[in-house]
Amino acid sequence: MISVKGLVKDFDNGKHRPPVHVLKGIDYEISAGEKIVIIGPSGSGKSTFLRCLNLLERPTAGQIFFDGEEITASGVEIDRIRTRMGMVFQNFNLFVNLNIMDNLTLAPVKLGLLSKEEAAERARALLKRVNLLDKADVYPSSLSGGQKQRIAIVRSLCMKPEVMLFDEPTSALDPEMVGEVLDVMKRLAEDGMTMVVVTHEMGFAREVGTKVLFMDEGKIIEENTPEGLFDNPQAPRLQDFLSKVL
Amino acid sequence: MGELEQKFAAAFLTEGRWILYFKGLGVTLGIAVLAAILGVIFGTVLGIMKLSFREDGKKTLWNILATAYVDVIRGTPSVLQLLIMWFIVFATWNNGVAVASISFGLNSAAYVSEIVRGGILAVDVGQMEAGRSLGLSKAMTMRYIILPQALKNMVPPLGNEFITLLKETAIVGYVSLTDLTRAANQIASRTYEAFMPLIGTAVIYFVVIKILTLLLGVLERRLRESDQR
Ligand SMILES: Nc1ncnc2c1ncn2[C@@H]1O[C@H](COP(=O)(O)OP(=O)(O)O)[C@@H](O)[C@H]1O
Ligand SMILES: [Mg+2]
Repeated sequence: MISVKGLVKDFDNGKHRPPVHVLKGIDYEISAGEKIVIIGPSGSGKSTFLRCLNLLERPTAGQIFFDGEEITASGVEIDRIRTRMGMVFQNFNLFVNLNIMDNLTLAPVKLGLLSKEEAAERARALLKRVNLLDKADVYPSSLSGGQKQRIAIVRSLCMKPEVMLFDEPTSALDPEMVGEVLDVMKRLAEDGMTMVVVTHEMGFAREVGTKVLFMDEGKIIEENTPEGLFDNPQAPRLQDFLSKVL
Repeated sequence: MGELEQKFAAAFLTEGRWILYFKGLGVTLGIAVLAAILGVIFGTVLGIMKLSFREDGKKTLWNILATAYVDVIRGTPSVLQLLIMWFIVFATWNNGVAVASISFGLNSAAYVSEIVRGGILAVDVGQMEAGRSLGLSKAMTMRYIILPQALKNMVPPLGNEFITLLKETAIVGYVSLTDLTRAANQIASRTYEAFMPLIGTAVIYFVVIKILTLLLGVLERRLRESDQR
């Protein structure tokens, strides 16, 4: 479903400093229905990799194919592609000037995908599934972190995406709220959603992941099933990383 | 009647002179309001242009043009800009209020563009990313998400800019428009008595601006109360 070939990303650091090489050649294939979990130390390029998949970051080199179409080709309407890929951010990024219902319905309505009534109906059905129907009319500022992130997930789901990208969705949460967000993600996984999840929640990776990738210094160092990767890590860097986080 | 009363009467009452101040104030406010409308619209466009960068991080042509425009406006006296508009650009157009409004509007737009740019930059970048990740275009995200939030940041400095603009219009006497300041000046030269008309006019400006400042304070408080962030 997503195919990444030779992905390279450099960040320009202004005229007088050398560019930073963040992704140094990544090749990967993601099939429909897979749940890919990405782990690795901070600064290893996990977020950048994820953000390249929906072109929030423009790759410096390499190709990304989505459903057979090269989305890195010039002239591709990226907005149209992004309607099919949801993204959930570490800091939620709910629209602070809109109430929850408007947060959920803005994109489908303004993009002409649904009428206002249809969008509201879909939003209510999804809110009900995350037990937040009573929050439809409030503004994001009155919600807890866990509630915000569940709403952010629902906002993406309102677009009926084919794949969901998660960038450390629980890292900004108080510990007692991590569970409620992970539960929503687990249910989504059970429903068959294709997911790419950057996380430090190793329990989630083991339970939900079909594959776990270990990234370090801009490369995929090791890729395996959760059992293989956690119980039988090969690369010394991975062994070292796991000994610190587990 | 004492001397002071006589001077007051000569400055404000004789021959219905108070009407001249009112008419002058009307011209002053008219130019300021029209210029502010033009300034906000054009300034918003300029401010957005100044935030436009290419994929590789370099400025777009739009950005370069807007930046150059702001540089030119800031680098020349507004009196001179007014004279150029009046005697060169619109030399054949004799609607003075319109020409002055355009001139001040184009001037104000440069300052408004900085306010708009700052207001937009103060909005969390995550808001734009969230909009784009849902498939909304940059323009749509700007319109529905970024600008409404930026507007709240912009109200206080825009209010200040309007007050500056209002006072700045006092230079329209240079192109023979009778605004409040020129009306006072004319009356002073007719009555050979400067004190009353000039001080009186200063009081009028002060009162108008004081009222505006108070209204602005109320607006800011309302916005803060309705602030859902
Ligand atoms: N916009 C940017 N400009 C410059 N450097 C960046 C930018 N975004 C990320 N980086 C750098 O790229 C590296 C990888 O970042 P990131 O992908 O966020 O890592 P991770 O998500 O694994 O912690 C870091 O060294 C970071 O400083
Ligand atoms: Mg990250």
